[in-house]
Amino acid sequence: MRLSSVSSKEIILADQPRLSLGRTVRIAIDGVRYRLFRAAVTVSVIAVAVAFLMNILSESLIKRRLAVDARRELSAMRDIHGWAARLTRPLDPAAILMEVAAGGALDGSTAKGGVIADRASFAARARAAASYLAFFDALEYDPRRALIHTARGTAIFDALSDPEHFTIFEQRLAEMPALRFVGSLAEFRAFLDRWPELAVQLQGVVSSQEHAIAALNRARGDRTVFAALAQPDGVFVAAARAAGFDLDEATASRLTEQAQAVLDRLVIERSLSLLESRQLLAQHFNLLPADISANELWGYLEKSRQAASYLGVMRPLVAALEPYTAERLAALATTRRDELALERIERMTAGAGEGWLGLGERMGWLLMVSMLVCAIGISNAMLMTVTERFREIATMKCLGALDGFIMLLFVLESCFLGLVGGLVGSLLGNLIGYGRMAAAFGIGVFGTVPLGETLAAMGSAVAVGVVLAALAAVYPSLKAARLAPMEAMRVE
Amino acid sequence: MNSERRVIIRTVGLKKQYVMNDVVTEALCGVDVEIHDGEFISVMGPSGSGKSTFFNMIGALDRPTSGRVFIDEVDVAQLTAEELAFVRCQKIGYIFQSYNLIQYMTALENVTTPMVFGGVMSDEARRRGMELLELVGLGDRWHHRPLEMSGGQQQRVAIARSLANQPTVLLCDEPTANLDLATGQDILDVLRSLNEKKGVTVICATHDHRMMDMCDRLMWIRDGAIERIARRDEVHVEVGSIGES
Ligand SMILES: Nc1ncnc2c1ncn2[C@@H]1O[C@H](COP(=O)(O)OP(=O)(O)OP(=O)(O)O)[C@@H](O)[C@H]1O
Ligand SMILES: [Mg+2]
Repeated sequence: MRLSSVSSKEIILADQPRLSLGRTVRIAIDGVRYRLFRAAVTVSVIAVAVAFLMNILSESLIKRRLAVDARRELSAMRDIHGWAARLTRPLDPAAILMEVAAGGALDGSTAKGGVIADRASFAARARAAASYLAFFDALEYDPRRALIHTARGTAIFDALSDPEHFTIFEQRLAEMPALRFVGSLAEFRAFLDRWPELAVQLQGVVSSQEHAIAALNRARGDRTVFAALAQPDGVFVAAARAAGFDLDEATASRLTEQAQAVLDRLVIERSLSLLESRQLLAQHFNLLPADISANELWGYLEKSRQAASYLGVMRPLVAALEPYTAERLAALATTRRDELALERIERMTAGAGEGWLGLGERMGWLLMVSMLVCAIGISNAMLMTVTERFREIATMKCLGALDGFIMLLFVLESCFLGLVGGLVGSLLGNLIGYGRMAAAFGIGVFGTVPLGETLAAMGSAVAVGVVLAALAAVYPSLKAARLAPMEAMRVE
Repeated sequence: MNSERRVIIRTVGLKKQYVMNDVVTEALCGVDVEIHDGEFISVMGPSGSGKSTFFNMIGALDRPTSGRVFIDEVDVAQLTAEELAFVRCQKIGYIFQSYNLIQYMTALENVTTPMVFGGVMSDEARRRGMELLELVGLGDRWHHRPLEMSGGQQQRVAIARSLANQPTVLLCDEPTANLDLATGQDILDVLRSLNEKKGVTVICATHDHRMMDMCDRLMWIRDGAIERIARRDEVHVEVGSIGES
């Protein structure tokens, strides 16, 4: 057996060829396969770090969804309170401006403002006014104080209409370069010039509302607005329509229902003021009578058998309970339970959807911490993986490996580990997130977050894992690649 | 052999210090040698005298503390990273004292690694790798990993690997240290035939008498300096006594 060909005896210098990506990938995969245990350890470090990150992402997503849903439902349930206010008190001018700017019809829930001739130009100016008000509202205390003193609402426009005050305002604003005024000052000036006109119109709207409310008050008599709305005969609703409030059929029937619920709740919770009721509940819940709250009462009433015994004790004492049956009470309690659950979600998700990426203040902070943990964990794992292979790197360099090949080899390998770890971690994090959220809010959390959003969050968590792993491999492998082969061999 | 031949490796004032925790070890202190194309040189010296260090320097595997190494009259310090990789891959074959096999590769993969780096296609690399493994008597062990082989077998894989790209210069750091007499003889035969038939320059650190018998020149290193260089015929008679030192 002989060697196949004669080597060239001259050493002709040339550049070492670059290895193809495919071959590098194969060598990288072989390396990972051989060190499966080591790779598994690294992957699990990455997976834990990514799971942490993913957990926070998925919980924030779920919380945000839950918060949005809960707020929407609650605001529908609380519709009655907004209407009760409108039907008894005129909106202040600033609120009217906001309402018009938000596209609300002036002749809707705010009662017809019959005095306004040119609706379009009024709406346009109201929008401008609202945007100025929004600007002033968003100011911090100090600049606000400097610019407009203590004026609030439309009083700001009254104050700035004074030319002297406006000059001061202009100067102060010029001293605050960080502050960007909405629109140009010249426009604002022009707006202020015509402000008295708008103020008169607003006053007209207010007085027409006062007028309408006065008419309504006559129809209401000495009943509360809730009692009036709860009447199913529709007389009060008709009076409200006649006075200029835009109450369509659907809204009217919803309001009737909600008003009744408010009254029911008042009647039932008021029965707690009697010691007999408290004693009954205290016995059942093994609490002190003084510690009984409405929540215990509602919990107790959920079962119609208990509702019946409650009625048995309380009906003789509270006349207002006369019309209620045990079934009715149980149904009310169930509705109340749902409402309480929504309120709990609202409380527990406070702040969700705000701050950086809509994660909420606390979640954003947690996310930063988890990124840090992720980065440290992954770079430590990769540092160890690369460092313990300096001998191998040195050998490859002795055999003619290019620096770039060494780098690519390790970056590929760590990308691969990062990918696997990231996938496992993001699944794990999601699972934990859903588990925890389900424990806190019930199984309703499944399906709250659209698949696309979840996948996007998982994708970004995986990407974080891959990028961090790759970046973490760059430094040690660059260090190894730069050394002379035997220098690398000597590194411990 | 004729000393008019081309100088393939030359060192000028070659020094190497190892610094470890403020302790400076002078592994080489000023080595000047010229090695000719096609020579077979035995390097001898007691343990710790600097043989391996010397090999690393002339093989462009390590940076000298001072002094220069010329390979085929090109200063190694002037080479770019790509050219260095090319020289290490194509022109010089190394047999390391500690083999330095890559643990996760099979014998065949270890042997073909320099070919892969040199851009040889897979099939061709495989064929040549098998040839080389058969040459060192490991044709049937090609799929074994280093940890599944004995020291001598690993050494033979390392020898096969050093021949992967048909090097011009072969640096062998005690290539027969772990081999029995017969296998050691086979390896020596291979080295000699490479040297004689292909004109490969072979530089061998060894304590093996047979190696001294077949080399052109002998070189003694002691405490990082060249103690003596002599043609074999000049020292032939003394070999026995020197080998014992
Ligand atoms: N990495 C290192 N760090 C510090 N000192 C070293 C290192 N490598 C070698 N040395 C020292 O350099 C000197 C020469 O070492 P070298 O390995 O070249 O000897 P050698 O002749 O090959 O010995 P052997 O025959 O035992 O292989 C020794 O004194 C050794 O202690
Ligand atoms: Mg040695």
